[in-house]
Amino acid sequence: MNSESNSQLALCDVSVSFGGFVAVSGLDLAVDRGELRCLIGPNGAGKTTALDLICGKTRVSGGEIRFEGRPIHELKEYEIARAGIGRKFQVPSVFRELTVRENLQIGRSHHTGVFANLVRFGGSTDDNEVERLAELVGLSDALEMAAAHLSHGQTQWLEIALILAQDPALILMDEPTAGMTGQETHKTAELFNRLRGQHTLIVVEHDMGFVRDIAETISVMHQGKLLAEGTLDEVSSDQRVREAYLGSGGIGHA
Amino acid sequence: MNLTGKSAQQTLLYGAFCVAILLVPLFLDDAFLLNKYSRYLVFAMLAVALSLSWGYAGILNLGQATTFGLGSYCMAMALKLGTVPVHTGSDGLPDFMVWNNVTELPWFWAPFHSMAFALMAGILVPAAFAALLGWFMFRGRITGVYAAIITLAAMVVVNLVIIDQQRFTGGFNGITDLAQFEVAGLAFDAYSSSTYYLVAFCLSAVLLLSLAITRSKTGMILQAIRDQEDRVRFFGYDVALYKIFVFAVSAGIAGLAGMLYTIVMEFASPTFLGVPLSLSVVIWVAVGGRQSLLGAAIGALIVTGVQGALSESETFLESWMLIMGGLFVLVVLFLPKGIAGAFEMLAALFLRRSAAKVPSVSQPAGEAITHGEGAS
Repeated sequence: MNSESNSQLALCDVSVSFGGFVAVSGLDLAVDRGELRCLIGPNGAGKTTALDLICGKTRVSGGEIRFEGRPIHELKEYEIARAGIGRKFQVPSVFRELTVRENLQIGRSHHTGVFANLVRFGGSTDDNEVERLAELVGLSDALEMAAAHLSHGQTQWLEIALILAQDPALILMDEPTAGMTGQETHKTAELFNRLRGQHTLIVVEHDMGFVRDIAETISVMHQGKLLAEGTLDEVSSDQRVREAYLGSGGIGHA
Repeated sequence: MNLTGKSAQQTLLYGAFCVAILLVPLFLDDAFLLNKYSRYLVFAMLAVALSLSWGYAGILNLGQATTFGLGSYCMAMALKLGTVPVHTGSDGLPDFMVWNNVTELPWFWAPFHSMAFALMAGILVPAAFAALLGWFMFRGRITGVYAAIITLAAMVVVNLVIIDQQRFTGGFNGITDLAQFEVAGLAFDAYSSSTYYLVAFCLSAVLLLSLAITRSKTGMILQAIRDQEDRVRFFGYDVALYKIFVFAVSAGIAGLAGMLYTIVMEFASPTFLGVPLSLSVVIWVAVGGRQSLLGAAIGALIVTGVQGALSESETFLESWMLIMGGLFVLVVLFLPKGIAGAFEMLAALFLRRSAAKVPSVSQPAGEAITHGEGAS
């Protein structure tokens, strides 16, 4: 815990409960700059809730969250986003009635003011960046297509590209490969490995094959607490982790 | 490429509409009809205002007439004071105040001696009212049907206050016997082409300005908010601020429409802030297509035009309401995006047909096109 002072993100004794149900209790988590951290755990362990707490979607009932040395748990969602935290949701959420290009332009949120954006029209300097990102996620041919017409996997990628357009220091990914085909998952793993070092990533994932492909350090959550932390081999041989996954067929089959 | 072509077409269409409405008096020399058409154009402006907040930002304002009425009263107050001393009692008071034993001009009436002040107030008072209401609603994350109900309730409140404060507002009777609107030495007779031009010019300006707003990044973000409010928030945009902005702009436009309505109708009345008018606006916009500013404007022209024609004809004197209702049900059932949506669908169909013909005539040209698209 003494490393928390120089971590980019630090959760200290964070708790939250919804009407008596304790979703996260006394969670301590520290993530360093540029790290790719996988967050795993059985269903209901509080992984998504942990991400919600970091990005401000849910308010902490106790404890403290610090980002780059600054407490952020009392900031509004958009202030947390401006501080440099991006969030990809579990259910892919993009702007279905807008084109892929327009989606990406909205992702480029360096200017957030109403009046500043009133005098900004399409075709500005952002265009190169938008096209680069579209290429990165294989959506170059779909730039003028309404996002509603994308396949599920493409929608997931579009949302990932939106987060990259926002260019936050810390990216929170909630099950980025959910609903993807094997090949799509593989491509996503490649993409994440490329992002390593440029952004800090926290990835919640159930697909252990995917975790194996990208993981450096894995944090295992169980019943709202941090259960274990280490490499994949370390955590999968951990007795407590094995017990936590008991009945769900073990860590590899979750 | 494709995008700029589409937006250029859109601009052209809007421009054509503006030119068309500005040309009407050249072919029409009937003061009564010009007055009627000016009235329809005012309604079209009100529809544009609602399309901006409902169609683009997803805020269904069931009280659009509130801000419309506020604007119309601002203009009426100024024009009433312009009648001094014809329709006034002692000390230059408006006649209805004299009847209500008011002895001194209320403080909030005094600045309306200045037409410049009235013109600003007619836009800024409604905008400020909407911004305040929006601040409470959108900071509190009230959305959808709840926001709609609040706008409706707010309208009823303002309406009751105006009726109740008869001494200052003329109550049920509203403010009547107004002076002619004059600005920079130009007089605008309600039954003349000058007033028609004034309204048509203002509608054109509002349409083009609103189009610019929807094309800007702010406009794009508003549409994104309509689709996925939470997603926008987590990119760092202050969603409430964006909503307050568009709500206030929409109210300002409605206020301008209200001012023009007073000039055209030559009075202001509490019915201008009524539930029937507010709900009518929703119908116009739904019929025209809420996600198209021009569609909404045309929807207002068509519905009010048909309504006017039906209610004036003897055969439909009893049944015109029924016919309007049936028309509305049909549009909602079969044209969810309104007339504008149907037009877009037809245009797309036509383009696809003509595009399908080209490659069959010259195969290589068709190939070159697909290659070009792949490379871009």
